[in-house]
Amino acid sequence: MICYHCHQEVTEPGRFVVTVLGEARQMCCPGCQAVAEAIVANGLVDYYKFRTEPANKADPLADEALAKLSLYDEPELQEEFVANRGAEKQIQLSIDGISCSACAWLIEKKLNKIQGVRQISVNAAARRAVVTWQDEVLSLSDILRAIERLGYHAQPFKAEQQESAFKQTNFAYLKRMGLAGLLGMQVMMIAIPLYLDVFGNLDADTKWYLHWVSLILSTPVVLYSGAGFYSSAWRALRAGSMNMDVPITAAVWSLYVASVQATLSGQGEIYFESVCMFIFLLLIGRYLEHRSRFKAAQISANMAKYVPLTATLLDNDEPRNCLAKSVKVGQLLLVRPGETIPVDGKILSGQGYVDESMLTGEFEPVLKQSGMDVFGGTLNQSGALKIEVTRPLADALVSQILRLQDEALASKPAISQLTDRIASHFVAVVLLISALTYGYWHYVGSADAFWIMVSVLVATCPCALGLATPSALTCAMAKLNREGILLKRADLLEALNKVTTVAFDKTGTLTEGKFSMVRMVNLSQRADDEVLGLVAGIESHSEHPIARAFDDFSPAKVDEVSVQPGFGLTARSAGKEYKLGSASHIGGQLTDSVQGCNVFLGDEDGLIAAFELTDKVRSDAKAVLDALSPRALALISGDSQENVARIGTKLGIASQYAQCAPKQKLDVIQTMQAQGKKVMMVGDGINDSPVMAGADISLAVGGATDLARNAADIILINDKLIALPALFDMAKRTERKIIQNIGWALGYNVTVLPLAVAGYLTPWMGAIGMSLSSILVVANSVRLLRKAQAKVPQEAVA
Amino acid sequence: MSIIYVLIPIAILLVCLALAMFFWAVKSGQFEDLERKGSDILFDDDKPEQQDSKKDGDER
Repeated sequence: MICYHCHQEVTEPGRFVVTVLGEARQMCCPGCQAVAEAIVANGLVDYYKFRTEPANKADPLADEALAKLSLYDEPELQEEFVANRGAEKQIQLSIDGISCSACAWLIEKKLNKIQGVRQISVNAAARRAVVTWQDEVLSLSDILRAIERLGYHAQPFKAEQQESAFKQTNFAYLKRMGLAGLLGMQVMMIAIPLYLDVFGNLDADTKWYLHWVSLILSTPVVLYSGAGFYSSAWRALRAGSMNMDVPITAAVWSLYVASVQATLSGQGEIYFESVCMFIFLLLIGRYLEHRSRFKAAQISANMAKYVPLTATLLDNDEPRNCLAKSVKVGQLLLVRPGETIPVDGKILSGQGYVDESMLTGEFEPVLKQSGMDVFGGTLNQSGALKIEVTRPLADALVSQILRLQDEALASKPAISQLTDRIASHFVAVVLLISALTYGYWHYVGSADAFWIMVSVLVATCPCALGLATPSALTCAMAKLNREGILLKRADLLEALNKVTTVAFDKTGTLTEGKFSMVRMVNLSQRADDEVLGLVAGIESHSEHPIARAFDDFSPAKVDEVSVQPGFGLTARSAGKEYKLGSASHIGGQLTDSVQGCNVFLGDEDGLIAAFELTDKVRSDAKAVLDALSPRALALISGDSQENVARIGTKLGIASQYAQCAPKQKLDVIQTMQAQGKKVMMVGDGINDSPVMAGADISLAVGGATDLARNAADIILINDKLIALPALFDMAKRTERKIIQNIGWALGYNVTVLPLAVAGYLTPWMGAIGMSLSSILVVANSVRLLRKAQAKVPQEAVA
Repeated sequence: MSIIYVLIPIAILLVCLALAMFFWAVKSGQFEDLERKGSDILFDDDKPEQQDSKKDGDER
């Protein structure tokens, strides 16, 4: 039976029940029960009707945790995140646990009901919300509490400067495109009678009128919508280089100026509609590219949550909540079980398991005792710790890793683009030929010299060439997006074809990142199920990840459970005492048959059973790695030599690097790069983020931390490695398409150039030829959107 | 044909209006999340139990 709310296993049927949509539904825990009750009580059951993904498992909310939210009302914290608008305040929140549109709807509805909330909009894709509220009626902590009650976790979020710039550009593109589209349509409409005037049935006045209307309508398009191209062209020229925008600018302005001149003098043809369509089509391509980049950036930037916000300060042994950034070296802090350790420090008293996975990537918690160092951002799983602050938040390890990542990102070499290189030569040649053509015809005294030059510019306009790469890249990105692969930059597709080495992090990337049982040795007369039930019963009282491996078995009833951190558990069932844990915890002799096992169950009479638990290799890993050949493979992990060797041998990866700290991982990659290899890094943890930033291309897998996603160039949205060969396949197809497109565009231009230079081509013929050529190129690119015939082994898909 | 001397200016005015509306829509962030708003129509807004919508504001 699965929980109605979060779709996880229900272990105690009948204990947590909520009536939803007219039926009694089983829940797995008091957390899910409370959330479901809140949803029903607020009349928001539509959520269950329309959601497409199950909810995250809700933690039961301790009153203490809710109380701690009031710390967010401190002005010191708010000044960083909150924007004041008179009596109203506005904040951006990053929200954990949003899985589909229904979640966004649920949060919006619930918050809209609260008095004092002026406006809320939740962006499901970016997992963000913007809330405007009246400060007199409501406080920020009330809003956070309301979201928390629905089973989501909200945190104040400050968009980075880069991201708000992205947003501005996004708006600008939309406006420019809208303007070019709307006005372009009008100009096109007016152009039709002018086209039909080939038959000569328009009187001069009407013609003159239509010319002037076209001029008025297309002027904003040229001045406003095309502005981005001119400034980019200007930047390139000033830097002494050429880019695609230079000929675009030249073509737009010469067409426009020529058409204006024709309108003023009442002689010659106008090409306003060509100008408008030209700008509109180019903008579409640029906008699509920008949008997929924006989306990827938004998803990956919710990383503020790793920098701890609050701390519990011990003031003469009196606990007091305060802001983590105000904590100073030498102060004493209390970290309760389940809390994030706010800063780097040394344990003075207490012991417990600390989950350092955000730093090391290893999911197995580390036992920390007094005298040991703990790091800010890591999670204290059990036992209260009293720590002395050794480093303030600004110098804490998590901040250092963030800085290391930033530095690596900044020094990343830019990938030169094939088309830009071709275009810069081509453009120079076209401009030169146009000038020579004009010079020649002017010299021989032709009155049409200017028009012939414009024909040359229009006919050879690298429009199709300009579209050749962007259209193929945009289509490929859209297709990959649909398959759950987000690319941050389109040019990565070109770079992917040059990758010679693929390096993997082990935990969570090639393995599942959680323990599972691979072997059980039963030394007693009892049935296997009975033993497993007993173990599951005892382990259900433990927070250790090893315990989660037994969650699938129905637990037997046990009591008097006590935990000995670092060793195991002791419990009583049916009057007998059992011990579960490491070999030293059980005591007694071990036989050869239990060689390799790491969890043991025993009672007073000795060993009952032994279990081998490991982090299982993903089922699709082997097939994916095989599909990646002939690229070289490498395994770079922070885990022990033994574990890395085991996985490496199993998957046939020859080069293995074990026990690497984040810095060493970066060194390994840089050594490879120094040997001329192009390295792609696949990882998931914060510890991977510097190396991912340093690699030529980096990819974050589905379960990756947001920090790793931020460093990565490519993000896999769903947790399937199988997307990797598909990605390389797509890159290859895209490259082929680009070459075809460029071949066509250049071929057309080269054929038509002599005709234009010789004066056989009028501008309108040139414009039609150019448009047809562009349409052909785009149509060819669109074929990338069709289903890929990826050469992926079948068993991997299963 | 002289009718176009009236109709075309009217068309231009309408286009300007449409543009002003479009710019306003972009500015107020209506194009930010294109996927989610599409599914909003699935959710029923005027449920009877929701009519007293502001009532439980004091729940906080």
